[in-house]
Amino acid sequence: MDATTSATVVLVVMVVGYALAKWLKLSTELSMVVAALAGGLAAGFGVPARHIAEGAMTYLDINLIFFTATLFMNILKESGGVAFVVRGMFRRFHRRRAVLLVMLTILLLIPGALTGAGSVTVLITGGMVATVLVSMGVPKVKTAAIVFVLAGLSAAAPPVSLWAMMTAAGVNMPYVGFFWPLLLPCLLAGILTMFLLGWKGTPVEIDRALQDLPEPPTGMNSLRIALPFLVFLALVLAGRTWPHSVVVMGLPFMFLCAALTSFLLSPVKIDFLRISRSTIDQLLPLLGTLTCVGILVQLMTLTGARGLLAVTTVTLPVLVVYASLFIVLPVSEAVLMWGAAPVLGVPLVLFFNTIGLNPIVALAGMSIIWPLGDALPPTAIIGRLTVDITGYKESYMSFLKACIVPAIIISIMGTLMVIYSKELGFLTGI
Amino acid sequence: MELIITIIYYALVAFVSALLIYNLIKSKEWQKEILTIIVLIPFLLRLFMLK
Amino acid sequence: MTPMLRKIVFSVAGLLLLIVSGMSFYESRNLKEPVVVSDGVTKVVRLSTYFSPLQGTANDCNIYILEGKEPGATLCILGGTHPEEPAGRLATWLFAENAVMSKGRLIVVLSANRSGSTVTRVGGAYPPDFTIPTSWGGQTFRLGDRWSNPLDQWPDPEVYIHYPSFQELAYVDIRNLNRCWPGRPNGTLTEKTTYAFMEMIRKEKVDIVIDLHEAELQYPVISTIVAHEKGQELAVIASMMLTDMEGFKMGMEFSPKNLHGLSHREIGDHSDAISLLFEAPEPFLDATRGRTTREQLLTGQDDFVVKAGKHGLLFEKIDEKGWPIDVRVGRHTSAVLQVMSSWTEAYPDKPLVCDNVPRYAEVIARGTGAFLRAPAEARQDRLFHE
Repeated sequence: MDATTSATVVLVVMVVGYALAKWLKLSTELSMVVAALAGGLAAGFGVPARHIAEGAMTYLDINLIFFTATLFMNILKESGGVAFVVRGMFRRFHRRRAVLLVMLTILLLIPGALTGAGSVTVLITGGMVATVLVSMGVPKVKTAAIVFVLAGLSAAAPPVSLWAMMTAAGVNMPYVGFFWPLLLPCLLAGILTMFLLGWKGTPVEIDRALQDLPEPPTGMNSLRIALPFLVFLALVLAGRTWPHSVVVMGLPFMFLCAALTSFLLSPVKIDFLRISRSTIDQLLPLLGTLTCVGILVQLMTLTGARGLLAVTTVTLPVLVVYASLFIVLPVSEAVLMWGAAPVLGVPLVLFFNTIGLNPIVALAGMSIIWPLGDALPPTAIIGRLTVDITGYKESYMSFLKACIVPAIIISIMGTLMVIYSKELGFLTGI
Repeated sequence: MELIITIIYYALVAFVSALLIYNLIKSKEWQKEILTIIVLIPFLLRLFMLK
Repeated sequence: MTPMLRKIVFSVAGLLLLIVSGMSFYESRNLKEPVVVSDGVTKVVRLSTYFSPLQGTANDCNIYILEGKEPGATLCILGGTHPEEPAGRLATWLFAENAVMSKGRLIVVLSANRSGSTVTRVGGAYPPDFTIPTSWGGQTFRLGDRWSNPLDQWPDPEVYIHYPSFQELAYVDIRNLNRCWPGRPNGTLTEKTTYAFMEMIRKEKVDIVIDLHEAELQYPVISTIVAHEKGQELAVIASMMLTDMEGFKMGMEFSPKNLHGLSHREIGDHSDAISLLFEAPEPFLDATRGRTTREQLLTGQDDFVVKAGKHGLLFEKIDEKGWPIDVRVGRHTSAVLQVMSSWTEAYPDKPLVCDNVPRYAEVIARGTGAFLRAPAEARQDRLFHE
């Protein structure tokens, strides 16, 4: 059997294994492991313990970032900090709709940008922002769409964009120069989405809305909220300004310091152990996804399935690649979640690099399209979570329909960034 | 100082491992239990300085 | 099944996976690679001789010194900067086990980033080791990774800012030996390692440093000598001679002045030595590769990489014959020997003459293993381990 045939057989076995596991109602994470194991067996490697464990290690550091950043966000929420900010913002700007919408956009972008996870945005600020939006007369379906789209963009936004990080790591490309190519489209698309879906409404019912929002504890003030962020920022800046005098700290340590500051400054007593346990519980699907994606990618690499995908992608006609990004990226995200980045992102970036495009801007463009798939089955994790948190009770299909216009805009924006990545290369600052 | 930071990281890994084990004991769904064990493996490999 | 029993069953399965994989990781981290030094090796010291804080760390590697019968220049060969590029390490093995210097001095490093040789790349599905067949059975080597082992250096920063240029690099490259030159005494393990090498280069008054590498075929810097401007003439002549006399193509390019942390730039900038870096083709590193196996590593044969080549996506040719390890090792030994003879022609008062090391054609004809010496038959004082 030649290499192409045997890798195709392995790939088919993996797909069948995945589909069977899904059919048996296994979670997406476990289905990926089933696919990986099936592929290993089909390729004659048996159950390669070393490779399974090594694959599982792939995103250990990212998982630590996830945990510490989400712990920080959860402590902030638990201490009443988030409620304090939302209420303050609302009280101050409720007569100026445009300003309020911009503020809400930023509020939705921050948690995901810091943690790399859209779900954190939904959980930390999504619910409260939804309350504000509904009180501004925005229909519930549009509110849910706003939270979902913004959560996706927040995950793609810098400093932590997992799609970009994972793909860049896969092609030995430094995760450097991504800040502006990621931030600008995320901000632009975020504000556009917010105004498109949230502009029309009714005058704000301030009293009713304030009643619906959680009350921050007495003693909460701006300093208690700002200080943990300042600690985080100071540590990042210290590392960047005096990199050769300051010890290497890494993002997890920085987030841990911010979390501890927030914990110490909280006006209410927080049970650190309880909140840590619930953070792990809340994050299990995400940590699990990354761990299982690592296993799947390792087994795909071992068996040649990844090589087959890579070589097929890099030898496709360029127009076909451009024209299919808007569908291929969200669908791959829906099936593999972040696994889409190392599996599909890597060959695509290699391809773009080979044809002379700017790989950083092209990857940033792809990174804003990927999260759109988080509302699509079979996974639809963020979509389902959003619907839950925002309290939208109608059909899931109408929620998807409400997302279509921003999704089209983001797809066009991302595809244009890929096509014109060379011209936009100045954004990288390299 | 470098060593202290490294020790903090190992402590963090130990803490997350302990949380995962706690959640594994408390869990009632079999799929969640398997996933917890899969997630736990890399943390333990690092904690025991094997990988 | 009760929930508790179920949990126990799952946990036992997880524990089994942990133990089996853990043992494999432990074994490959501690696999000893024998080196039976040639009669030409006059001294073996540790890298910490030049910078004591490295003592007791994973990167306190052996330095093999071959003093010539007659004085001359000093050349240093670095193997294992990126251990996942095995032809570089194997070429240094052939020097350490065979070379005799009749003029000048040779310093050979087999595991420049020893820490990096004790781990394989996550997600890369690398085999933990590979075996080179020999008449006495075969010798097994650790495959290793591009970066230092996180068990020796952890955590990574949010972004890696190179010393002293302040150039921003990927966070993970703080563990990449070839992004950490010239290093610093109070830096990370990898930075301390390059600092120690710089101290060695300065104290031993090294004239030429050659860093041996391999590259994926999709990478533009391949089958070439990358030269610091101080080594321009030497590299041009060596490249021409190799292409004319040995029958393989060897290009030459300049070390970019604004690309920091690499040996070909920083060693030349921060010492009196000329710095050169050699790249041989290694299809095993290509992202389009098929099955990731020991066989692919050693034969360099890969249908998918060939397909990518047919679509004009590669910077080096490849056909079904692939790039066997002997061809890659032979390129390196010949290129080093050629640099020595080109240098000697240019500086006859500071010659470098090395005997007994096989060149390209001979390595291909007899195989790399023919030049590895049996540890079982070695005198104990001539046997070292990497």
